[in-house]
Amino acid sequence: MLGEVILVGVMVGAVYALVTVGYSMVYGILKLMNFAHGDVYIFGTLVCLTLLTKYNLHPVLAILIAAIVGGGLASLVELLVYRRLRAEQHRLISMITALGAAYVIQNITELNWGNQVMFFPSIVKSKFINFWGLQISVTHIITLFVAVLCIAVLILFMRYSRYGKAIDCVSQDMDAASLMGIPINRIVSSVYFMGGLLGVIGGVLYSSSYNAVSLGMGFRGTLVAFTAAVIGGIGSLGGALLGGMILGLSENLIGVYISSSYRDPLMYSLLIIMLLVKPTGILGSSDQAKV
Amino acid sequence: MMMGSGKRKWLLLGGLTICLLLVPMLVTDIYILSILNMMIIYSILCLGLNLILGFTGLLSLGHAAFYGIGAYTTAILMTRYNFGFGSAFFASAVLALLVGIIIAIPTRKVRGDYFCLITLAFGEIFRLVATAWIEFTRGAMGIVRIPMPKIFGIPIATETDFYYLGLGILIFTYLTIKAITDTRYGRAFIAIREDELAADTMGINTAIYKIMAFSIGCLFAGMAGSFLAVYQTVVTPSNFRLEESCLMIIMVIVGGMGRNLLAPLAGVVVMTVATEVFRSVADYRMLIIGLIMILVLLLRPQGIFGSSSFKS
Repeated sequence: MLGEVILVGVMVGAVYALVTVGYSMVYGILKLMNFAHGDVYIFGTLVCLTLLTKYNLHPVLAILIAAIVGGGLASLVELLVYRRLRAEQHRLISMITALGAAYVIQNITELNWGNQVMFFPSIVKSKFINFWGLQISVTHIITLFVAVLCIAVLILFMRYSRYGKAIDCVSQDMDAASLMGIPINRIVSSVYFMGGLLGVIGGVLYSSSYNAVSLGMGFRGTLVAFTAAVIGGIGSLGGALLGGMILGLSENLIGVYISSSYRDPLMYSLLIIMLLVKPTGILGSSDQAKV
Repeated sequence: MMMGSGKRKWLLLGGLTICLLLVPMLVTDIYILSILNMMIIYSILCLGLNLILGFTGLLSLGHAAFYGIGAYTTAILMTRYNFGFGSAFFASAVLALLVGIIIAIPTRKVRGDYFCLITLAFGEIFRLVATAWIEFTRGAMGIVRIPMPKIFGIPIATETDFYYLGLGILIFTYLTIKAITDTRYGRAFIAIREDELAADTMGINTAIYKIMAFSIGCLFAGMAGSFLAVYQTVVTPSNFRLEESCLMIIMVIVGGMGRNLLAPLAGVVVMTVATEVFRSVADYRMLIIGLIMILVLLLRPQGIFGSSSFKS
């Protein structure tokens, strides 16, 4: 029993890490709480659902298209809304605007798909294999594999490509990066795009392994991303992975061994405690307020 | 000059109060009165939130939780422990104040966006616990049949009675917050909003002032919740969703934050009327609210009626 719970926890954790990475990268660069993050990923996930059920597309193709739609939506929001507020304004203003954007996307999603829980088809045939006495679902293994693969590609991209280095420069010092000839707007757009893309992949993996998707998962996803990012260290890639993993594991253990209705309250309590005790997270570096 | 404009302002306020007192004699339509009563509730909430957000610059996404604490306190005390409305109202306000202080003390040094996350998480915890703790709150069914309140033996039964009761609470709220913010406290709050570090350097004890602004704002949210409980006679967790907190923030921002206390009230009126007008397109409600939020912040961040805005 415990073995299965931990395995599912690791799978959920990897998916959470995917959702968190995009949010955390945006925060690293712009210091903006992107409230629309979860709504973007649920929008993409529902696009994928429609492609799968209505148009009977091949799952890989459907996920790819949905991920690109999600990424596009994320950078569109950045272009239309967040860009005008960059730098000059009080931080509260951009946060509240982000909340407004979340509302708009949520409402558009609701108009298209409604707000009830919908069935999400399994991407792979659900089979169980016996592995050292553990009942393991193939779906979970594949989900875990895809999530780890995406994260590995992202890490390689960030470390070895010119683009990844540019993103790192922009998050360290936007003005200096701009003076060095790095196109800030393009970099920021692409970070949003990547965040949306990975978020949608995470959303699809999550929904297909639980066979359910609903609008409510969007805002919960935003909060999951916040919590995981804060636990691991906001703005850091490794922190997002660690935070996602911790959250996924603890959530499953709490859900199984304590109570599923107190799962979310406990998650939010963890967020509050972490913000009070060590707001920089486990892996985050301390960041002092500039005068 | 100063005296003149001050006097004119009090005349204006006095006139406004008299008009508000006369409203039920002219309006007998229950529907309009019920909208007015909801406006009063939101006005009390937004005056409190303006103290937190508009004056002190703390973005609280958990205001609905304090509203809920007030409502549940009154509901539980009146249905299970036979409290009268007066004592339940007092208890609600005090409990909201205490919880506000408990939240504000550990968060006094937390950075702005982390504060926002903490209040958001607190609001969600409140709502989820109110839904899950069925033995105490009756979960999603909510607490029903809250008895009719009596003030000095006079039963408050009709929409008009509730209007006068609510108006009384609103005027009390307005005068209290006016009295607080017209002194050096108000100036200290604004100094914290504009630049916390500079305020600290100037010798303002920012921690104390932040705790004060936040918990007083929560106190009034508790009062509004208590009034809601007896007015609706039902309290359910869905009354206190995050959406409510956001709606209050939008009302304050659309009206205009800060010194001019009438501006957030104007925001309440604008948003309530807009919600009623757009009732026929209720499916688009959040879309419209979201767009109003974005447009106001992009085009006129000081609000429609406000003068001061956040500085960078």
